[in-house]
Amino acid sequence: MSTISTQLRHFKEPTKDELTEIFFSVPPAALNAPQSGSATPSETLPGEEQLEKMEINAVLSMGVQGQEDSYAGKLYLLPPYLAFASLDRKSVRFTIPLSTIRRVERLNARAGIYALSLGLWHDQKIIVQLTSLRPSADAFCALLRNALKAELQRGQMKAVKSFVKTCYSEALVPDESSVGDNEREDGSLISEEKAGAPPRETTYHGGLGLKYKFPGDPKKLREASKIKLWTTYLRSHGRNLTLLRYPQCTRLVQVGLPNRLRGEMWETLSGSLYLRLANPGVYEQTLAQNTGRVTTSTEDIEKDLHRSLPEYAGYQNEEGIGALRRVLQAYSFKNPELGYCQAMNILAAAILIYMSEEQAFWLLGVLCDRLLPGYYSQSMHGTLLDQRVFESLVQRCLPMIHDHFQTVDVQLSVASLPWFLSLFINSMPMVFAFRIVDCFFCMGPKVLFQVGCAILKINGEKLLQIQDDGGFLNLMRDYFASLGESAHPTSADPRARAITRFQELLLVSFREFATITDESILSERRRFRADIIHSIESFSKRSAVRNLKSLERFSKDQAGMIYDALYKAMFLEPPPAMPAPPPAALFTTSGENEERPETRIGLRTFQCFLSEIATWARDETIILNGFQQRVDRTIAEHEFIDRLYFFWDTSCRGALSFQDLVSGLDGVMFNDLMENIEWFFNLHDKNKDGFLSKDEVLTLSESFLFIFRYEIGDAYLGAVSRFMTNAFEYGDALQPQHEDGEKSADGEKPPPSGSNTPYLNLATFRMVVLADEVLESFFETDLSASFRLEPVPDLELSASNNGLLGDIWSNIATADNKKFFNRFTDGIGKTIGKHQVIHRPSIGRYTNLEEPKAHESLLTPAMRSSPSKSSLRTEATASSTTLVSPSDPTPPSPPPKIPASSSEFSSLPMVQAANAALMERTPFAIDDAGDDDDTDEDSEDEEEDDDQVLDEVDAFLEENDSGLTAADKQVANDLLHAKPVK
Amino acid sequence: MAESASGSADKSVQVKLVLLGEAAVGKSSVVLRFVSNEFQANKEPTIGAAFLTQKCRLEDRVLRYEIWDTAGQERFHSLAPMYYRNAQAAVVVYDVTKASSLEKAKSWVKELQRQANPNIVIALAGNKVDLVLPSPSTSGTGSSSESEDEADDATATPGETPGADGQPESLRQVPREEAQAYASEAGLLFFETSAKTGEGVVEIFTEIAKKIPIEHILASTRGGAGRPGAAGARPGARQEGVNLEENPAKSKDACNC
Repeated sequence: MSTISTQLRHFKEPTKDELTEIFFSVPPAALNAPQSGSATPSETLPGEEQLEKMEINAVLSMGVQGQEDSYAGKLYLLPPYLAFASLDRKSVRFTIPLSTIRRVERLNARAGIYALSLGLWHDQKIIVQLTSLRPSADAFCALLRNALKAELQRGQMKAVKSFVKTCYSEALVPDESSVGDNEREDGSLISEEKAGAPPRETTYHGGLGLKYKFPGDPKKLREASKIKLWTTYLRSHGRNLTLLRYPQCTRLVQVGLPNRLRGEMWETLSGSLYLRLANPGVYEQTLAQNTGRVTTSTEDIEKDLHRSLPEYAGYQNEEGIGALRRVLQAYSFKNPELGYCQAMNILAAAILIYMSEEQAFWLLGVLCDRLLPGYYSQSMHGTLLDQRVFESLVQRCLPMIHDHFQTVDVQLSVASLPWFLSLFINSMPMVFAFRIVDCFFCMGPKVLFQVGCAILKINGEKLLQIQDDGGFLNLMRDYFASLGESAHPTSADPRARAITRFQELLLVSFREFATITDESILSERRRFRADIIHSIESFSKRSAVRNLKSLERFSKDQAGMIYDALYKAMFLEPPPAMPAPPPAALFTTSGENEERPETRIGLRTFQCFLSEIATWARDETIILNGFQQRVDRTIAEHEFIDRLYFFWDTSCRGALSFQDLVSGLDGVMFNDLMENIEWFFNLHDKNKDGFLSKDEVLTLSESFLFIFRYEIGDAYLGAVSRFMTNAFEYGDALQPQHEDGEKSADGEKPPPSGSNTPYLNLATFRMVVLADEVLESFFETDLSASFRLEPVPDLELSASNNGLLGDIWSNIATADNKKFFNRFTDGIGKTIGKHQVIHRPSIGRYTNLEEPKAHESLLTPAMRSSPSKSSLRTEATASSTTLVSPSDPTPPSPPPKIPASSSEFSSLPMVQAANAALMERTPFAIDDAGDDDDTDEDSEDEEEDDDQVLDEVDAFLEENDSGLTAADKQVANDLLHAKPVK
Repeated sequence: MAESASGSADKSVQVKLVLLGEAAVGKSSVVLRFVSNEFQANKEPTIGAAFLTQKCRLEDRVLRYEIWDTAGQERFHSLAPMYYRNAQAAVVVYDVTKASSLEKAKSWVKELQRQANPNIVIALAGNKVDLVLPSPSTSGTGSSSESEDEADDATATPGETPGADGQPESLRQVPREEAQAYASEAGLLFFETSAKTGEGVVEIFTEIAKKIPIEHILASTRGGAGRPGAAGARPGARQEGVNLEENPAKSKDACNC
């Protein structure tokens, strides 16, 4: 069995603000908009919500003269962060927690220049010149002041000191700012420092590499000189929380991060550092709260622990394995919807070489949630989407290769899928993969696409020779194995000979594929998202239908329609998160009864589902306001639907699967008269003893009334009241016999007088039903026909879904506009008296307000030949009469029959209600009809009667124009044929 | 190169084979046993799919299996069509100690029969029989390295390993008869295998080779087979092939039938 997820449909394109946050790696939880996706939002103080964001044009320069050029760009206040990006958005940028800003000074400069000097934690000073208009600059400063104050109040300033100690760069760059610390630190922190100070070297976090060595030869990697370069850079440009990213930073990353610094730099460049800062202790808490918990994810994780970079010494003992287990489990607990996906083990194992568990936990979060969105989700839609995007980029940048692949029918993804899923880590030697990962964290996901294209381009000639997937994969495998070799082994120039294939790869990636930008990837993703979602959905639909244990009597297409209705219901009314496996699983440790997870829906979703299929399970109102006619549909709620829900829940799980729905529908949609009667009987026979109790008879009658609630005319109402009368008459009449029978069997038994004792059996019920023309026809055809499998209009779904058409805003606007327009026209309609709301009947057999003759065409041959067909005609009359207001004296009205019937149950509230309903609606003609059932009537007379009644009604209508015009009648006539407005 | 090219045109037939099945039933182990006659901890987790080749001699023909070993985790399911399209053979693996894995196998078979190449030859393999049959080879090779391998291997989930020595039969959840009956009903080849002991592994591929409509494949691929690229198997792969041709002969003489 498969699971059904509508999650893809809920995708929303990020807004401009969100894109800014993503660009600056600002944790979403730190922002005011509450993000449900993040399970661990940092505590938000009431004051924080008032902090406004603002952006302003600015020129950034370093406090020390001549150190770096000045860059123009934009300064963003994103409390609690301050961020800057140069105009090209790549040369210079920073994201700095406000808590690391120690001093802000307005500079006394020439007139017209508005500049702030910011003193940062690591003793560096930056100068931002606000180049916007004076009022904006003032406003920005005011907001900045508020935001800083709020940070101070939250005590964040104190947290910085202990936090930076966890960073390796602090040990790398001798701490020269210790003097300045005392300015702002209070006593508590100093004492804390004392407690934690002595083992100074061990305060920073590190990975397994510190103990088990880092991959690669340190000499070959030129670790020492790299460290030197970085030390210089970090000293002058800030580090960890206060790192300023100038072009030199990117260049240094591109030649490869030194191993000891790598973990911290990954953290800083990806922004996971900020998550760790904002959520102290959350990693440990997550683990502690879930100790011993076993989920599908933890089981899957267990299987892969020993398969993650197994050659690395750190993963050949419990230390590394344990760390890997904890990080992966913690993430799966934090994001249970994603859980665990193979390939995450490789990422986690890789990053754990360079960083501590807590660091890795947050970095893994950034990877899965932001950098590789949807890659590891249940549907892996992100992976599929980016493969499609990659293919399209190849088509554009390397058309010859793309065409050749098309010709020989080779799929790019067979090779490129693992590249993206595991960031090349299990494709190429680790030392090289990690350098790509360096660039990936620094420059963003576009790096994967750039490198991917470069790989293909470099191997272009050979790729044009390959004939099949196997050849492609072998070629790639050989290429990756040779990355350490010289790219130009035959070159005369020793410097050219020294260039390795890997260096060549990076050069080609960043030089020749610079046109691939984050923006172009975003827009390509937008372009293909709908396709991908569609193909995933149709794939899961096909497998869901295929995996049904039984199609019952439905065709595949019909099952598909049931699936569509279910899917739509799940989209509109998402079922509660997958409940813990049923208790059965707890008792059976063997896999015998183990079931694969299966989507099951709750009652709310079921109501929604049923409203798609059963006409009576929805309230449809046709609304006319003089401008438009539309059908508004809402989901009906009634005990009957709940009853059906539990009736179909044959395995008693309190939730229905797709199979349950298919089987349930099968149980009613193909029934004939007798089967339907039995079905309806069983549905109401709660204890399945073959008898309805009195209460159940009443419930059953209520069900009738519910199903018939919008039928025009009183035919059904009458039928139900007759049904009750008869049911109780027969029931009572037959009762003594049962008692006798039971007495003889059981000896002595008190006469069943309670409302819960067995009362009416199926045979009697059938007799009562068949005694009534209306109910008979209901069970013969209408009940089954009220379940309609119709193609669920896809458009409707996509209209309510913002992601599908790509442009979220236009869609929202459309939906909103539509609502607004509806309201607006309704308003006008009301003022000019044209507004009208009509319920669409669920069965609609007796809807016509036309002349009775037309009615005949609606009758089935069976009905026509039935002896009491005139009763139907009378009902048509009744339909007409309902238009008449209660005070209307026109139709002859013998006293309603029901009150006269057996007084035994008249005290029961249900019957009273039914009677009240009858009285309310002044069911005059209907009672005639009821009487006529018994007498063999003359149809012509009846017809004349009908005509007379109609004439009278018409006359009445002409006299008192009670708001129902001919047009309205026309509308009512149209109800039958009306289609849902999209 | 030229020699191999002509050889492939004459004799060697490429057969694309895909392995499917629930996670941790031992797909990769079965392939590893077949391709390198080894049983060991998985060096590489299967992301998407692993690709391996192996030659197998059948009468006067040489079959070159191109094996796609797919990832078993449920969420990789939607990627599977990429690997089983155009496949001429499929081995659907389940774990005899896990009843649910047979259900998953059945659903794979259904999917293959509806979505894949209509002439696809499907074999059903119930793996890990070593856990339920007290076979002599298991007790004989009970060295420490072997058991370590077993623990490392994805096929052995922690809960099951200890029981393997105690009461072997109690671990079996899928009776051979049941699976056999299902296989014949669905028209599948059926084997019970142990990647650990090697039992039944080579037989799967041999029987598939017999059942594959080789002439048909030859006819359809002859056009492309002569091209240099098609024979572009790297030297290493060819070596492997030669090497492995001997292996089965040594072990059970299964491939040379």
